[in-house]
Amino acid sequence: MLAAYGLGKSFGGLRAVDDAKLEVAQGSITGLIGPNGAGKTTLFNLLSNFIRSDRGRVIFDGEPIQHLQPHQIAQMGMVRTFQVARVLSRLSVMENMLLGAQKQTGENFWNVWLQPKQVIEEEKQQRERAEAILESVGLAHMAGAYAGALSGGQRKLLEMARALMTDPKLILLDEPAAGVNPTLINQICDRIVTWNREGMTFLIIEHNMDVIMSLCDRVWVLAEGRNLADGTPAEIQQNAQVLEAYLG
Amino acid sequence: MVGYLVFLAISTGIAALFSLGLNLQWGYTGLINFGHVAFMTVGAYTTVLLALKGVPLIIAVPLGAGLAALLGLLIGLSTLRLREDYLAIVTIGVSEVIRLIVLNEEWLTRGTFGVQGFPLPLATWSPNLLMRLMMIALLTLIAGLTFWRMWQWFSKELQQGKTENRFPVGSLILGMASSLLGLAVYVAGVMALYDYTYKAGLMVLLLLVLTVIFWQMERLARSPWGRVLKAIREDEEVAKALGKNVFWYKLQSLMLGGAIAGIAGSFYAWQQTSIYADDFIPLTTFEAWTIVVLGGAGNNVGTVLGAIIFWAYNTVTRFVLPALLPFDDARLGAFRVMVIGLLLMVLMMARPQGILGKKEELTLGR
Ligand SMILES: Nc1ncnc2c1ncn2[C@@H]1O[C@H](COP(=O)(O)OP(=O)(O)OP(=O)(O)O)[C@@H](O)[C@H]1O
Ligand SMILES: [Mg+2]
Repeated sequence: MLAAYGLGKSFGGLRAVDDAKLEVAQGSITGLIGPNGAGKTTLFNLLSNFIRSDRGRVIFDGEPIQHLQPHQIAQMGMVRTFQVARVLSRLSVMENMLLGAQKQTGENFWNVWLQPKQVIEEEKQQRERAEAILESVGLAHMAGAYAGALSGGQRKLLEMARALMTDPKLILLDEPAAGVNPTLINQICDRIVTWNREGMTFLIIEHNMDVIMSLCDRVWVLAEGRNLADGTPAEIQQNAQVLEAYLG
Repeated sequence: MVGYLVFLAISTGIAALFSLGLNLQWGYTGLINFGHVAFMTVGAYTTVLLALKGVPLIIAVPLGAGLAALLGLLIGLSTLRLREDYLAIVTIGVSEVIRLIVLNEEWLTRGTFGVQGFPLPLATWSPNLLMRLMMIALLTLIAGLTFWRMWQWFSKELQQGKTENRFPVGSLILGMASSLLGLAVYVAGVMALYDYTYKAGLMVLLLLVLTVIFWQMERLARSPWGRVLKAIREDEEVAKALGKNVFWYKLQSLMLGGAIAGIAGSFYAWQQTSIYADDFIPLTTFEAWTIVVLGGAGNNVGTVLGAIIFWAYNTVTRFVLPALLPFDDARLGAFRVMVIGLLLMVLMMARPQGILGKKEELTLGR
């Protein structure tokens, strides 16, 4: 579904991502791990084109996408979240969610006047969808609050919920469990599995090994911008190189 | 007195219209436009020059607004891809360039001599009693809508006050003051319309346009389209990540805000009945900023209220200060600007969110 070959990006002299390869199979939950500063977030930025790569190719759904704008990639059905959750502070949680909905008639200037009925109808439908998703991440009671009033963990949840509102084919999560309490982590993992069964593909960066090991079909390991290993979670756990990279 | 109140109403209306354009760009989209007056210049000159060539006003005004929007498009195309502070610098530069063009291209704009004697709307019209009564009815309708809107706002304040167990004194004073002012303007308007003068007709026309534009801006602000603008203001990376074409929305905001300022320019020209390049100095832009910040950015009602307060202040100080202070005219003018700066500073310390802004919003983390 998603494949990247030979991706490279340097910041000044630092090769943050160096000749990296990554494949995400359709319908899978794929993990991306590596020590701090390994270049995982940068790789996400390259995949979603928030940062232009120096070299390499990215193919999504059979089409090269490295020349597309970030919003075009999102429209194709590949949506990303941020490591430090970014919420629209002075909008309500519900408005944050509604913004995620794609192909909204009312987001066209003229349609606000030309098709008011359609706009209202869609708003109503999206609102219902948003409520259901908020319910599933345990934020339903906050729907009317300012997003800026949420705690760090709640923001992570809102960001994931908002990404789901786009009804993506592939969703890139950057450390979804960071700062979220353990019970909620389990709940989120259950959710991810459910959504995955419904046909959504996941690529997840995570330092929490329990999450990675329990969720992922396949794991890619990055260190100092380069591929270190890839395989099933069990293989990765046994891999001497990986253990070394993490421990020393 | 009646004449002055009509003048006041027109000036306030123009300031409100002009600032609504800036509020869309800054208050809703977060675009820093320090050259808003450029759009007004383009709107004003296009309207009057075309009218002098015999183009009907009903076509000249939309063309002026259209050219102003085009200017917004050009500014946007050249700067929006750069870092955001560039927009601030470029807009202030463009507004000065436009003013200098107007000053120097005498074949087109008659330079420092200004443009006079251009066709005015409803100027040669002498309406019969029925028409005048109809215009009075229209004015009454607009006044009624305004009061209704204000009552709505006040009862909401009252509700909120109840839950927090306090009486909204500030809101009451504010509401009373603007009600009184509105009432005075309304009565003056009725009197002026009854003995029809050009300015009275212009006032009704302006209030009508202002009402329609205000109402449409409110509608846009609540629409999904407006939601995207607000999202861009909050964090454009998020909007991008959710598939919104941020660049295009910013352009639209810049163009629409520019077009509204262009229409304000047409009315400005009609009120003055002659225009000069020196009418369009950067100070005009900063007055609009004062109005938007005063009322509470991202709040259309606040913007209109800001315009009312601004002009009320202007009037009061014009008549009261000379009686109190032994200054000559030039010094008084400077003193008034100084006091408004001071007031703005005090307001920003006491109520940084603006008069109608929401306090809670300030305490939110990023
Ligand atoms: N915009 C940037 N400019 C300069 N250097 C950067 C930039 N972004 C990242 N880097 C550097 O690139 C390297 C990789 O960073 P990256 O954020 O991708 O790591 P990561 O694997 O996500 O780490 P973590 O697990 O801590 O989130 C780091 O050394 C970082 O300092
Ligand atoms: Mg990271």
